[in-house]
Amino acid sequence: MVEPVLKIRDLSVSFAAGDQQLAAVSNVSFDLNEEECLGIVGESGSGKSQTFLAALGLLARNGRATGSVLYRGQEILNAPRHELDELRGNRLGMVFQDALSGLTPTMRIGQQLAESAERHLGMSPAEARARALEMLEIVSIPDPAQRLNAYPFELSGGMRQRVMIALAMICKPDVLIADEPTTALDVTVQAQILRLLDGLKRHTKTSVVMITHDLAVVAGLCDRILIMYGGRPVELGATAEIFSGPLHPYTAGLLRSMPTLSIDPEVDLPAIPGQPPDISQLPAGCAFAERCERASDRCLREDPLLTARTNARSVACHFPLDGN
Amino acid sequence: MTDALLQVEALNVDYAVGSGGLLGGGRKFLRAVSDISFEINAGETLGIVGETGCGKSSLGKAILNLVTPSGGRVLWRGRDVTKMDRKELRALRSEMQIVFQDPLSSLNPRMTVGEIVAEPLRVHAPELSAEQRNKAMIEMLERVGLRADMQNRYPNEFSGGQCQRISIARAMIVKPKLIVCDEAVSALDVSIQAQICNLLRDLQRETGVSMLFISHDLAVVRYMAQRILVMYLGNLMELSPRDELFERPRHPYSRALIGAVPEADPNLRIVDSLVALEGEIPSPLSPPSGCVFRTRCPNATPACVGSVPQREAVGPAHTLACHHWRTLYD
Repeated sequence: MVEPVLKIRDLSVSFAAGDQQLAAVSNVSFDLNEEECLGIVGESGSGKSQTFLAALGLLARNGRATGSVLYRGQEILNAPRHELDELRGNRLGMVFQDALSGLTPTMRIGQQLAESAERHLGMSPAEARARALEMLEIVSIPDPAQRLNAYPFELSGGMRQRVMIALAMICKPDVLIADEPTTALDVTVQAQILRLLDGLKRHTKTSVVMITHDLAVVAGLCDRILIMYGGRPVELGATAEIFSGPLHPYTAGLLRSMPTLSIDPEVDLPAIPGQPPDISQLPAGCAFAERCERASDRCLREDPLLTARTNARSVACHFPLDGN
Repeated sequence: MTDALLQVEALNVDYAVGSGGLLGGGRKFLRAVSDISFEINAGETLGIVGETGCGKSSLGKAILNLVTPSGGRVLWRGRDVTKMDRKELRALRSEMQIVFQDPLSSLNPRMTVGEIVAEPLRVHAPELSAEQRNKAMIEMLERVGLRADMQNRYPNEFSGGQCQRISIARAMIVKPKLIVCDEAVSALDVSIQAQICNLLRDLQRETGVSMLFISHDLAVVRYMAQRILVMYLGNLMELSPRDELFERPRHPYSRALIGAVPEADPNLRIVDSLVALEGEIPSPLSPPSGCVFRTRCPNATPACVGSVPQREAVGPAHTLACHHWRTLYD
């Protein structure tokens, strides 16, 4: 049995707000396996981003994380800053939605890329510059030699996202965490970046975590998906199985309510009623209960935990669907 | 005379950019909307789809007379909106309403929800008593899925989806003939998006209101509109009935846009199924000569550099602007 790259156990994240602690993430456990692409899907407030910000030690100052995050057996949750600094940007690469804030505005992009290669790969300045150029070629930046001298503000949104990916991938990391990397981009540019990520995933050994609100984005990209709701993991399984037979009523509802290019537009979409819970007022039981047509008294009282079912599938529901 | 509710004829919208030189000689204009024509009939939804800078929002604003067109005409039931007198304009304002993308910033934070929803009646139906206004406001709140007891709360107490319901209530309370929805569901969570789309569809079925539904999201536009206008850098690429557009896109840009939408199908891998156009959208300050799409078009030829393709009718209610459509994709 191969050890997973990342092993996350009982990860919880809370934020201090006044004299209250708001639970943003509750008891999340999952593995990220070697060379897999895992999709983390959820709406705003589902905890999908905070889970990984916590794992990487990037929570806001009022945030607190408990539980365990093992990177190749080494505990990294709340690890000292110098250890995390060494891991981030070297073994664990990150790409965010807003590429402009992820790049240093006053440094030429060639310098930023080369600095990472010098620092983490021990390259000489000349080697590092060559590596930087190679990375810009890999992410398909036109005129890469000239672009090395560009500042981030001189690049379009799509180009900046490519540079972010180059920066995250320059040290051939074990894990690439991409948090809504295409959400701010135009459709045709989103398609370019998704193709790039899919290509990188196939041609490198890097495991990819794709955090998104868009199920369509993960469908053709990810091997497995974790669905989150109200700070909790609600369903985990192989992408194809989740799409063909969701176990959690929320997953099923999401899939049904998505407008896609293959639905019949004359038929009304079955929308999920109600709205996602406010994390300052989470219910005692299942966070989805008040929107769920299968909910009973038990769901209002008892919060269901993510429990393994057949075929490496897990679901957090007292009354799951049968998956057919 | 047609029975179109709204006719847009050869509309141009220009914005002055830069302050110009000492003598004003260096003043430049950005053409946000270029020679756009279409009609909206009573009870139908026209979708406008395109990427950043395609002019879709400027077009919406020109129709509402919120920006002044620099050329062409907008006819509302046959009357030119730029030539309307004050009284006609006031009537127009109640007949056309708008719902914006950012629900919270388009609601006055200092007014209660009840005041916000009743306000248009104060302006457009001054003959109503306070009691009648209140009654209409409560009916409208309930119609859009809010509760009457929410009327005394302020917008910041509501979620994005609820704020959008408030915006829709405010728009619908004056019984408009047309609502312009400018990215009205784009900022909403997936599970809320379908609710708001369905609310708009229901309201249309009940009241016969026409919609101009502006969005960058093709799947949402397909769900909402019967006809779709595809724009790129201010220009019309294709105007087509919905099913024809999605089943058989004739313009290379329409084809590229549709091909760029990831399908929610785990059997289709991204690299195999997604078609990605090369390059990015050029700056609208210096658009390409000839066909504005030619710098990214996989089918561009020297003819596309030399001249702007004229709009041609491909079928009933279906026009497009491409030099090569006859020979492509057959």
